[in-house]
Amino acid sequence: MPAARDVVIIGAGHNGLVTAFYLAKAGFKPLVLERRDRVGGAAITEEFYPGFHCSTLAHSAGPLRPEIVHDMALAQHGLKFITSEISATALSPDGCALILYEDGRRSAQEISKFSAKDSAKYLEFRESLQKIGRVVDEALKLSPPDIDDPSRSDLWGILQTGRALRKLGKRDMYRVLRWGPMAVADLVAEFFETELLRAAVAARGIFGTFLGPWSAGSSLVLLIRSAADPHPSGSAGFAIGGMGAVTQAMAAAARQAGAEIRTGAEVAEIKINNGVSTAVVLRNGQEIATKAVVSNADPKRTLLKLVDPTHLAPDFVMKLQHYRMPGTVAKVNLALSGLPDFTALKNGSGSALRGRIHIGPEIDYLERAFDESKYGNFSSNPYLEIAIPSLTDPSLAPDGKQVMSIYVQYAPFKLKDEDWQSQRDPFGDTVVKTLSAYAPDLPGLVLHRQVITPQDLEDTYGLTGGHIFHGELALDQFFTMRPLLDWAKYRTPISRLYLCGSGTHPGAGLTGGSGANAAREIVKELRRIGR
Amino acid sequence: MTHNGTKSKYDVVVIGGGHNGLTNAAYLARAGKKVLVLERRHVLGGAAVTEEVFPGFKFSVCSYVVSLLRPEIIRDLDLPRHGLEILPLDGTFTPMPDGDYLWRVNDHGKTRRELARHSKLDAEAYEEFGKAMQAMCRFVKPILGMVPPDPATLNPRELMKLLFIGRRFQGLSSEDKYNQVQLMTMSAIDFLDQWFETDVLKATMSASGIIGTFLGVRSPGTAYVLLHHYMGEIDGAFRSWGFARGGTGAISNAIAEAAREAGAEIRTQSPIARLIVKNNRAQGVVLQNGDEIHADVVSSSVDPRHTFLHFIEENQLPEEFVADIRRYKFRGSSGKVNLALDALPDFKCLPGEGAHLRGAISISPSIEYMERAYDDAKYGNFSRHPYIDMVIPSLTDPSVAPPGKHVLSCFVQYAPYKLRPGLNWDEQREAFGNNVIDTIRDYAPNIKDIILHKQVLTPLDLEREFGLSEGNIFQGELSLEQLFFLRPAPGYAQFRTPIKNLYMCGSATHPGGGVMGAPGRLAALEILKDSKGAA
Repeated sequence: MPAARDVVIIGAGHNGLVTAFYLAKAGFKPLVLERRDRVGGAAITEEFYPGFHCSTLAHSAGPLRPEIVHDMALAQHGLKFITSEISATALSPDGCALILYEDGRRSAQEISKFSAKDSAKYLEFRESLQKIGRVVDEALKLSPPDIDDPSRSDLWGILQTGRALRKLGKRDMYRVLRWGPMAVADLVAEFFETELLRAAVAARGIFGTFLGPWSAGSSLVLLIRSAADPHPSGSAGFAIGGMGAVTQAMAAAARQAGAEIRTGAEVAEIKINNGVSTAVVLRNGQEIATKAVVSNADPKRTLLKLVDPTHLAPDFVMKLQHYRMPGTVAKVNLALSGLPDFTALKNGSGSALRGRIHIGPEIDYLERAFDESKYGNFSSNPYLEIAIPSLTDPSLAPDGKQVMSIYVQYAPFKLKDEDWQSQRDPFGDTVVKTLSAYAPDLPGLVLHRQVITPQDLEDTYGLTGGHIFHGELALDQFFTMRPLLDWAKYRTPISRLYLCGSGTHPGAGLTGGSGANAAREIVKELRRIGR
Repeated sequence: MTHNGTKSKYDVVVIGGGHNGLTNAAYLARAGKKVLVLERRHVLGGAAVTEEVFPGFKFSVCSYVVSLLRPEIIRDLDLPRHGLEILPLDGTFTPMPDGDYLWRVNDHGKTRRELARHSKLDAEAYEEFGKAMQAMCRFVKPILGMVPPDPATLNPRELMKLLFIGRRFQGLSSEDKYNQVQLMTMSAIDFLDQWFETDVLKATMSASGIIGTFLGVRSPGTAYVLLHHYMGEIDGAFRSWGFARGGTGAISNAIAEAAREAGAEIRTQSPIARLIVKNNRAQGVVLQNGDEIHADVVSSSVDPRHTFLHFIEENQLPEEFVADIRRYKFRGSSGKVNLALDALPDFKCLPGEGAHLRGAISISPSIEYMERAYDDAKYGNFSRHPYIDMVIPSLTDPSVAPPGKHVLSCFVQYAPYKLRPGLNWDEQREAFGNNVIDTIRDYAPNIKDIILHKQVLTPLDLEREFGLSEGNIFQGELSLEQLFFLRPAPGYAQFRTPIKNLYMCGSATHPGGGVMGAPGRLAALEILKDSKGAA
């Protein structure tokens, strides 16, 4: 048997690649094993119809941590980002369009068409969110401290965050404390009176979660996401070549740093020898001995499927089984013969569509969409977040044609009486029908429709429960509690088995934060225990 | 001083003769202060009141069970001597539509057997759960009894308080830490899902997590309220869950007696018009009849909206503070239906008179039932199938109804204060009441034939009659962002206000609603601390 590898990383999603890069930088020789035939995990570009390429799952970046983009020199590796000056266009069925720009003043100007009061408030909200976002970001960069006996660096980190928190001043500090547990519907109502604006901002607090705008704690999601992107409604950053280009560049960077990446290599089992992970076994039976295993897969898949749970304490297993990851998002990708004509955007519709398009005109609309999912049905009037990346990057579609990428919420992983296989088409129809209320000519333009259900997210992309964040973003699954209290430091009860995916802190969206934090901890530990 | 005296002078004037105002007065009087309590209504007690609504039928009109009345208050004020007698309220009975039921009593053996009928696993888990919750209570109780720290200051005393909490938390076992964190952040259902599998059990237990809030059982932040259910039970077993003989008003009366004995003066039918504030210092109050009453300190047990937005000129308060008070969420979500009965209700699933009628009767047959009840409210309708918590105190305390007759008190949720456009409560009252009775009839078919009188209290009525803004029974939602150092407003959670010598002592301050008396007591201690400082 060949000499044991340094580190084996399971999964070449963006976090796995970021971890691989930093481990390689630190002098290790990581081997990344990807189950699928391509790297990227949920950040991939695929040709879903001849000539039409689309970011199959995630369509806009988190955005990535600037230091990661810099360290990995992603630009040199061919990554080109374009941030649309229009971040979001919120549409209402009665033909209104609210366009929010990257630039706050321009947004305020646009908002003033709806309400002068809101226009002023918007800037205040934006500023507050920016200040608070910076502090939250401090916390996101930290490795969660050990509560029982905080290390020196833990205490230092806490102190830094505490300082940053105090620097906010009373008003914003209280806002952090008060907003965290609030329902995002209450939060936006405290600032805005325009329903369309309320809904567009509130949507960020529910995206990807099993929460409605009226659920307490949805504001926390908004705050977490603001750390990476303080824009109230989220900005629109697209990679030329789709999200796949991001992970391709990451893979190139990791390889250059000395990591080896193997695709089509599915890990079936993590071998454990009295409490220490010693090897991984591939689906084809090949066994690869290694000194350490890092898993980019979600905590449940890693510790309940790849690891034989008999190696874990029963109450740990129980707690992990209770780790909540009920998927609520599905994806629909459309190949279009032309640009749909949105009623609300009669003139200059083109540019207004370069950002993210928000369908979900009222708080109540979003909440009703959520209600249905509580009882195991997909929303009959879903909340949609849409991108038409081919407007920014024509290379994605044949001349004059377009691709439309649609996040659909709510699509509960567990349907009440049906299964997703039988609901795929009814669901797809619902999405197109919903859209046609805003762009009547859309149905006629659809050349091909790709529907990715939560079931597909689990089966094809390995997201347990179809949860795009590897687990709910909730107060009880955040920071020192992600994935579990006492196990938030990227370690697991199995010695030399680590986690680096979105199921670890900070874990929100495509930022690479988890991967970078994990790498830092793992390097420390591996150096401590010696190679 | 005489009642019509226009220049009477007191050390402290307490606004509102509810249980907190009276507790506040009692503690101040016992410390030698000259105290006057002013109550708007003709009876004392605020929402903790007994009224003979119909001849011979005495109702605990609003609050109907004794849950969390602080033991130190019972001791300090010697309430039993002043006539407080608490009768046990044994168990919770949940009838189910399929003809089955869930009946938990305080006898662990019985409850265990009953649970086992539904699920062996749950019967096992129940004991464990109780133990875990008591550990949590031990952690939380001292926090309920402390003045909330102000995290925004650098004052060492405040930081010590935070440290104290931090240390206590660190002191918990890893298991308890895990539970504590979950309790503070999770939804009641997510939390209970980890312990139990029986739907009706989880539904009934989760109900205590939503009472008085505008949240559903699946909404994060509802789990911690489950604690309050166990809070009572660890002071002297289940006796602290019960009825007061003579109705909840008996509690207020006992506290009032204690206050009077200590020298406090109490006036009813004395509504306040406004506060007297001179150069940012409270100096007394003006009654609606024009009387001016001067005092060194004003302590208000009414909710912040009344205190700061009705009784004080806005320009006398900091803008930021006024904004915070405006933002403070009331959003009443419950109503009350009080019925005078000719006989006892007869439940399909467990016919006849029996011990199951002596405890709480909970209409909470399933989680989906509870959640759908909430869905109606979100869009401005009262629940078509509401959660109802019923008690029949006349079975335990015959003095509240004529011989052979009974009073049935129904707490009903959800009844949103703000109905959807086009509806108003004055027109909906009748429909609301009937809907409640129809709901009960699904389980106890004879209910309609035995009703002699009915009193329906909508959130609007609670506001008009009892001065509870938007009909919120806790003087403001018990949601995480309105608790502890955020109740009622950031920076003003220590019973003090932007106006010197004006204090808050009602349920809108830490630790919040429920017939606890804690805010009244804590506020009194702070007032005394300050007056010593001044002297």
